[in-house]
Amino acid sequence: MAVETLPEIPAMGPLLVRAAVTARGRHGDDVPERTLRVEDATVDRARLAAYQRITGHDVADTLPQAYPWVLASPLQTALMVRPDFPLALPGLVHLENRVTTHRLLDAADPLTLEASAGPLRAHRRGRTVGVRLTAHVAGDLVWESDSVYLGRGRGDEDTVRTGGPPDAPEGPARAVWRLPENLGRRYAAVSGDVNPIHLHPLTARALGFRRHIAHGMWTYARVLSALGRGSLGPSTSRVWFTRPVELPSTVELVARTGSDGSVAAVRPAGDRSRTSAVVVLEG
Amino acid sequence: MTTTRRAAVLGGNRIPFARQFGPYAEASNQDMLTSALEGLVARYGLAGERLGEVVAGAVIKHSRDFNLTREAVLGSSLSPDTPAYDVQQACGTGLEASILLANKIALGQADSGIAGGVDSASDAPVVVAERLRRKLLRLSRARSTADRAKALAQIRPTDIGIQVPGASEPRTGMTMGQHMAITAERWGITREAQDELALASHHRLATAYEAGFFDDLMTPYLGLTQDQNLRPGTTLDKLASLRTVFGEGEGATMTAGNSTPLSDGAATVLLGSEEWAQAHGLKPLAFFVDGETAAVDHVSGDEGLLMAPAYAVPRMLARQGLTLQDFDLYEIHEAFASTVLSTLAAWESESFCRDRLGLDAPLGSIDRDRLNVTGSSLAAGHPFAATGGRIVATLAKLLAERGSGSRGLVSVCAAGGQGVVAILEAA
Amino acid sequence: MARADGYTAFVGTPVGRRLASTLGLPRPVPLRRYEPGQPVTEGPVLVGGHGDTPALAALRGGLVAAGVDVVDEAGEDARLAGVVVDLTAAEDPADLESLRALLSPALRRLDRCARVVVVGRHPESASGVAQRAARRALEGVTRSVAKELRAGATANLVLVTEGAEAAALGTVGFLLSARSAYVDGQVVRVGGGSVPDAAVQAERPLAGTVAAVTGAARGIGAEIARTLARDGARVVCVDVPGAGAPLAAVANEVGGTALQTDVTDERAGARILEHATQRHGGLDLVVHNAGITRDKLLANTDAQRWASVLDVNLRSIVRMNETLLAPGALRAGGRVVLVSSIAGIAGNRGQSSYAASKAGVIGLVDGYAADAGLRRRRITVNAVAPGFVETEMTARIPLATREVGRRLNSLSQGGLPVDVAETVAFFAGDGQAAVTGNVVRVCGQSLLGA
Repeated sequence: MAVETLPEIPAMGPLLVRAAVTARGRHGDDVPERTLRVEDATVDRARLAAYQRITGHDVADTLPQAYPWVLASPLQTALMVRPDFPLALPGLVHLENRVTTHRLLDAADPLTLEASAGPLRAHRRGRTVGVRLTAHVAGDLVWESDSVYLGRGRGDEDTVRTGGPPDAPEGPARAVWRLPENLGRRYAAVSGDVNPIHLHPLTARALGFRRHIAHGMWTYARVLSALGRGSLGPSTSRVWFTRPVELPSTVELVARTGSDGSVAAVRPAGDRSRTSAVVVLEG
Repeated sequence: MTTTRRAAVLGGNRIPFARQFGPYAEASNQDMLTSALEGLVARYGLAGERLGEVVAGAVIKHSRDFNLTREAVLGSSLSPDTPAYDVQQACGTGLEASILLANKIALGQADSGIAGGVDSASDAPVVVAERLRRKLLRLSRARSTADRAKALAQIRPTDIGIQVPGASEPRTGMTMGQHMAITAERWGITREAQDELALASHHRLATAYEAGFFDDLMTPYLGLTQDQNLRPGTTLDKLASLRTVFGEGEGATMTAGNSTPLSDGAATVLLGSEEWAQAHGLKPLAFFVDGETAAVDHVSGDEGLLMAPAYAVPRMLARQGLTLQDFDLYEIHEAFASTVLSTLAAWESESFCRDRLGLDAPLGSIDRDRLNVTGSSLAAGHPFAATGGRIVATLAKLLAERGSGSRGLVSVCAAGGQGVVAILEAA
Repeated sequence: MARADGYTAFVGTPVGRRLASTLGLPRPVPLRRYEPGQPVTEGPVLVGGHGDTPALAALRGGLVAAGVDVVDEAGEDARLAGVVVDLTAAEDPADLESLRALLSPALRRLDRCARVVVVGRHPESASGVAQRAARRALEGVTRSVAKELRAGATANLVLVTEGAEAAALGTVGFLLSARSAYVDGQVVRVGGGSVPDAAVQAERPLAGTVAAVTGAARGIGAEIARTLARDGARVVCVDVPGAGAPLAAVANEVGGTALQTDVTDERAGARILEHATQRHGGLDLVVHNAGITRDKLLANTDAQRWASVLDVNLRSIVRMNETLLAPGALRAGGRVVLVSSIAGIAGNRGQSSYAASKAGVIGLVDGYAADAGLRRRRITVNAVAPGFVETEMTARIPLATREVGRRLNSLSQGGLPVDVAETVAFFAGDGQAAVTGNVVRVCGQSLLGA
């Protein structure tokens, strides 16, 4: 497996530009076996604080569970813009994610981050690819994430659906969140994910959405913070993004907490029939 | 409830104090207070514990922080069943919170609790000008589009302007420093005396750090492991080279070196009854003996803005039958070096004690070697509401080290011409 | 929570499987790890050996009492979760045939992550040359079996003194259970002096005890604190004041208390003892885990760098123990666990100061274990020696080379901090009063320094 060590975390903006201009003509069935790596990445505390604030966490030294994903996401993007990557990044849909924090992560820990992508798989609406992100501290694996993305295209109707989310909890809302129109732009500024579908109704419409939508990783992090300190780790959480959260909108958090963890869902306010995201926190 | 019992100081925790726009620039009051609570919970093994109450406050507060302390409790590892409330008495907040809680414990209304305070000079709320604020409120009340357009049209470019709350007194328009400069001049406090006090504060705080004194009083936060304002290597020459920032002309004596800087930070103190302490394996460090609050008329210029402690202390001493010299340690908050020196001068002044306090003789002088022995706000910084908690925890530990029966006096001046003072006695 | 290192998880994915089989890379199985409520073993355990001995009777009875499905012979269809071979009666190398006869067919019936535990006697106490040879032979065969086993299975040897057979039960139970996931090819000595009986560890074996763990803010120390708390101990988490923020997070997570103190401070021992005694009523267990590395070739190591490593990793332990092990300090029946390292056994280029300190730790174990005063107070002293430790230096070598380093052991995977923590918790267990003076490597039977 080829490992390329990059001198630092690449800047997201140029990568996304490259992704846009190289989107057409990507083909093939193989995902190159390649790992991109950055050693001893340091956490920028101001950026961390901005992330903690926008996702509802306390500004503190402990990293939120989904934060290393934000740190490592330029590596993932860099993987996807390589000429030999078969799917086009623009239009990829984040279907689900799983994150494990093996121990509480401190902002002072230097993180060695790695990103690699798994094989393509058939899906009803196209093909999916898995991306694995990891963080090591002094050689110990402390954090890992598996993301599944859908490249929309000619799908395989016969694909068996596997591993879907558990049923969303029923019952009254635990919290109501009013998501402002500029949430996508604000989170983009914090996370570096400036995907146009999150920024403005016009840019989102150009990519086939009715209007702009919240970042899935924002929704995920916001739910985790609402589930309390247990989400900081050591624990595993999973999220399934079932339908977009349009901006602006009002959503409800509904959650069920048991001895083995929590199941939570985000649904449009006043509409119990639809679910935008389901989060499971095992703890 | 007629009988009372003793309220014990069991320990404390604070985060290191940072300078304005320093490492805590991005942290809110709630973040800092939560973090200070987390460190206290960890030190005393209180995770999941339901305490009697948590009382704290902040001087500069966002309107969204109406339930600041309760929100901090909910974000901490304490049991969510722990009630909490906010208090605010300017720089006296932290000490007043401690007195309130100690009284509840003494009365048997609570067995345990945490008192504290927090302030951010970096994350201060920005307030729009009053005229604009009223017009915006009208805009938000407007129901129809036409009404809204009308309300919007009333906003003039000249309305736009923001006010960052400063340390100025609402009724005099003068900053605390300007007020203090007048008082310092009235008491003839020299620049040299102020610089010497500032120097002692830095050196004593640095020595205490080196001795590990704060190892069980502090938990690092956002990468800061000790008070950012501390200058262990400062000298009289360096302090003397600073230009004056308050006062005018020849009489100006106050510099950035002998005034406290704007700071960010939070401090907490754990209090409890003796029974509660014993059940939790905690040894009381000190008991709350008494507390007193005074206020003076600084608006008419009758008395200096920060001189209220000079009145509060003698009242408390009289009630307790103590003299000013009956203390092993004194903690006088260094809002400015001249505040401490003016207060001491007043107590030494025969005319002040006679005319103002109605005493036959002056309170007299104190042994300066017993004053602020591990430094105070000039070196540590002064996040307004956090200072009381810092002092109570520090003094309780110092008294415990000196041994049973040793006694300490706390004095904190506050905006609005107020002063909060208290007596602690080693357990 | 599923836990595996990056490589092990990777070869579990379709692409990883494909790649591993194409390149002939090892394909480690995810190890069975302990979770509360888990039975000692998931399947039957074959128990047999050479003759009907007191050890055999004690083992059978104790394992049955612990809910283990004990069988006398490997059945035709059932997969074995473990084999316990009693060779305490071996008099002569010829008696080793009993071991072969029992193990040889059984090895083919082992389940994933199965366990082989050989029980023998200390060679030093043999009455003749032939007996001594037979006893010593067990170590060779156990270590070879450990290397022969696949699919996460381990083999370990327990040496037990005469009369201490029942006391060995806790050790055998540990080695059979998922707690010992990464302990492979090791020898654990049980007994010496008068020893109480032991049972297989219960659900919360440390309930009611008070433990202090140094270096608890991060890494292995945090995992030890977590594991001890899970097993019921009240944990005093100790680390330097500068690490106070993560230390508080760990203490609150495990419901313990945080004590900020530098272990090299001359009052550190007194502070730990006072804190534990005042807050929690006493101290039963001390885990000296705090350690630093200042890696450099010895040729480039100056006095200051050298001293800092030895001071933190070794001299501080001696100094703290003067207080902690004084009469009336650590309670009778207490436990001391030290953290050594494979570097202290095998040596490591660029780590001479670290290796010196960690080898010194082994010397401390030997010294304390021989201390008659401590023995009288039933205080045991043991060490764990974590295996493949990636230092900053090794973290910079290319991933492939590093992976090879990681695979250089019988389990073909790196260990996790929890594996070290489980072994610490084993030493701490109530039943392990007869387990003292051991240095157990938690290394997956690493080839280094074997």
